[in-house]
Amino acid sequence: MIDSRFDTTVTTTCGYCGVGCRLEARVRDDAVVSIAPALDGPANEGHTCLKGRFAHRFSRHRERLTTPLIREGHGFRRASWEEAVALVAERLGAIRAADGPDAIAGLASSRATNEDCYAMQRLMRAAIGTNNIDNCSRVCHSPTSFSLRKAFGLSGATGSFADIDRADALIVLGANPTEAHPVAGARIKQAALRGLRLVTIDPRRIELADYGVLHLSPRPGTNAAVLHGIAHVLVRDGLIDEAFLAERTEGFGEAAAVSAGYTPEAVEEISGVPAADVEAAARIYGEAREASIAWGLGVTEHRHGSDVVRLICNIALMTGKVGRPGSALLPMRGQNNVQGSSDMGALPDTFTAYRSVGDEAVARSFEAAWGVELPRERGMKIPEMFDAAVEGRLKAMYIFGEDVAQTDPNTAHVVAALESLDFLVCQDIFETETTKYADVILPASSFLEKSGTFTNAERRIQLVAPAITPPGEARTDFDILLTVSRALGHDMGFETPEDAMREIAALTPDFAGVTYERLGRAGLQWPVAPDGTDAKILYEREFSLPGGRGRLAALPYKEPGDAADADFPLILVTGRRLQHYNAGTMTRRTANLDLFAEDFLEIHPEDAERLWIGDGELVSVRSRVGRIEIPAKVTDRIEPGHVFTAFHFPEVRTNLLVGASADVHTSCPEYKVVAVDVRPMPEVPAERPVLAQV
Amino acid sequence: MIELTIDGVATSVEPGTTVLDAARAAGAAIPTLCFDGRQDPFGACRVCLVGVEGAPGPVPSCTTPCRDGMVVDTRDPTARRVAGAVVELVLSELPGPPAPHTELAAVARDLGVGEPRWPGAVHQPLHDDRHPYLSFHHELCISCGRCVRACDEVQGAFALTATGRGFEANVVAGLDAGFRESTCVSCGACADTCPTDAITEISLLEVLP
Repeated sequence: MIDSRFDTTVTTTCGYCGVGCRLEARVRDDAVVSIAPALDGPANEGHTCLKGRFAHRFSRHRERLTTPLIREGHGFRRASWEEAVALVAERLGAIRAADGPDAIAGLASSRATNEDCYAMQRLMRAAIGTNNIDNCSRVCHSPTSFSLRKAFGLSGATGSFADIDRADALIVLGANPTEAHPVAGARIKQAALRGLRLVTIDPRRIELADYGVLHLSPRPGTNAAVLHGIAHVLVRDGLIDEAFLAERTEGFGEAAAVSAGYTPEAVEEISGVPAADVEAAARIYGEAREASIAWGLGVTEHRHGSDVVRLICNIALMTGKVGRPGSALLPMRGQNNVQGSSDMGALPDTFTAYRSVGDEAVARSFEAAWGVELPRERGMKIPEMFDAAVEGRLKAMYIFGEDVAQTDPNTAHVVAALESLDFLVCQDIFETETTKYADVILPASSFLEKSGTFTNAERRIQLVAPAITPPGEARTDFDILLTVSRALGHDMGFETPEDAMREIAALTPDFAGVTYERLGRAGLQWPVAPDGTDAKILYEREFSLPGGRGRLAALPYKEPGDAADADFPLILVTGRRLQHYNAGTMTRRTANLDLFAEDFLEIHPEDAERLWIGDGELVSVRSRVGRIEIPAKVTDRIEPGHVFTAFHFPEVRTNLLVGASADVHTSCPEYKVVAVDVRPMPEVPAERPVLAQV
Repeated sequence: MIELTIDGVATSVEPGTTVLDAARAAGAAIPTLCFDGRQDPFGACRVCLVGVEGAPGPVPSCTTPCRDGMVVDTRDPTARRVAGAVVELVLSELPGPPAPHTELAAVARDLGVGEPRWPGAVHQPLHDDRHPYLSFHHELCISCGRCVRACDEVQGAFALTATGRGFEANVVAGLDAGFRESTCVSCGACADTCPTDAITEISLLEVLP
């Protein structure tokens, strides 16, 4: 129906979480006035949340960056694009000449499109000549990617959100979907109301726990023990699928031998979860005809997060609950394109579709396409970049759409790294904590202003279409990256993002059949065959590993990197709030701030009483590496001994508290286990940590 | 499969398919008011009435399952007359004609219903703008129940409640303390489904046609 209230209505894909809602943006006078869910969106089916629907006004916020900025003294001055790009090319070129290409590193953004991320990694690899490229999935689901590839072969969900509707049972582990992935959360809730047997496993009593049949509250960092306990019961009670194990897997014997040591009683000792609840969880999962597992950063952001993902794969393989409708493994990807940014090769060790930079044949195909020689050695991961910067080995960074000074752990170290750089380019839509340290800031575009594709948590590649134009002189990220690359002497030869996707498809077998025309309104779930056939369900017949068998892992429970002690007696867990999104650069510039204006520290009534902390009172939270101040909220949603807060607010700077502990395989930070000391404020002299003095 | 005839054309559908779904799949246009494909059929508004051969009167197509041998007439004059009268009665309680972009206006146009012939009491303006995004204009509520069902069946927030009876029937958030003081999660599914703008986005109130 033509609605005369709007000039146009543009169908696009949401730029918030990894659910990938298809949206109808209604535009008037080059501003979005309203967003409605697309009725035919495969992941959202006509629904969306308060971020996707309402939090769009940031796009016309007066603080948007509208012209390039160049550092001058303690501030910035406006500059022309010509001057800014020339300066970037000159400085990066000089550093490359003096210190080699590996003295430069780049970060792509999981909020940007596949084409943007592809252009960014090509900029670093082909124009600069280094594999020092990473993206923010490093700090969220890199353990998921690592372990899914080891266990099954491909780095992505094995099924779709639609599997939730077909499952008889669902385990939600270390995720809070009703806040962080609201549309998927609503779907899970509706399924539970219709009879899905829902098990939630989280240190907090999340909202979905009220709709489930069982809630387990393990101590932070003990997920592995709980999964071993479940595996133990599955094997002991004969709830495993012998035929599936024999025909399609390897490593069961070794894995089962490890799990044999984790009786429910032993698991209770480690995790605090009652033995009977471990048994019940195993039976609900094992006895269901079809059962799925969804997990989030409560699984991955740990010292041994990748192990936990392997153990999730273990129980799915043991019971044969993978590769069928209703039996899916669903990592809840945090950002809109965290799947895609990694698919596109914005990683230090892989080209597109996770093919190693050391793979001679693959490297040669890219060399032939780009007309350059490429390094075969892997580059630095994000934490390694900061270490190298502090040590003086890394001289320059190009950070695109990421606020590392607010969202990465060990903030003081990150800031020291940014201050150590000779040259920092930031490409963003707003000034952030990170841009404070920049030498050049390039004004970029929000998802409402660009074209390209996002890949959601179901591996679904969906079109993004511009509803409005970038403000002022701001340009699309794709255009900026092409321009900078050209100034550095490497012309990518693309006119539009669609050209980039043609190249991706030509160079990437898993994307061979992807064209914008085929993506259409419903998108395609990779791998996409040359004829355009996509894959709703992976591994229906075989796993994507040599030999075609899924691999179980024999990994014992290992203790987390931090633990409560006499000096730091409480464990801090961090996460998200419904109303906000990560660094909050977008949501804090909308009326979502009116709905959730100030963060708080959730603390159990017993702990609060013992520590003389009243509801709403300001408290000091001190960890081994930092200290923040924040109001307390006394609530029994959290277990005694634990406290919880989010990281959306620069006023709070939660990540000052998080240390350097990280997943041993992927360097994903241990955001979920931080020993802290919480006190009422009057006992501590009020002094805020000093940072960002430039 | 079930075999039936819709507007003289033979068609076959899966068991459990409603007459509305079957008719729409066959290309027939049946106006609806309380129906939203994202929710279970409700059968409250009687705008989707159709004629069925052998039935004592028109039947609501949204809640009537197809049966073998059924002969459906979506243009049955009695059904259309009753549906038009229902819409006219709905309009007669409103303080003014519905905004042209609303579903109610589209249904009225579709059924050829203009200015209601029946004078009488109309709802007085009662607005609640305490939420940053969502606005209540209670006088426009026609008690179709779509917002309440969106809140329950699509989102699962259970924040909205139907209140009052007869002319006083309306919808409220929580215990009528507004969206913010209810269990509302601000998803906006209510505004999205509302056919009259009784619940609407504040940003749309600022946009004139």
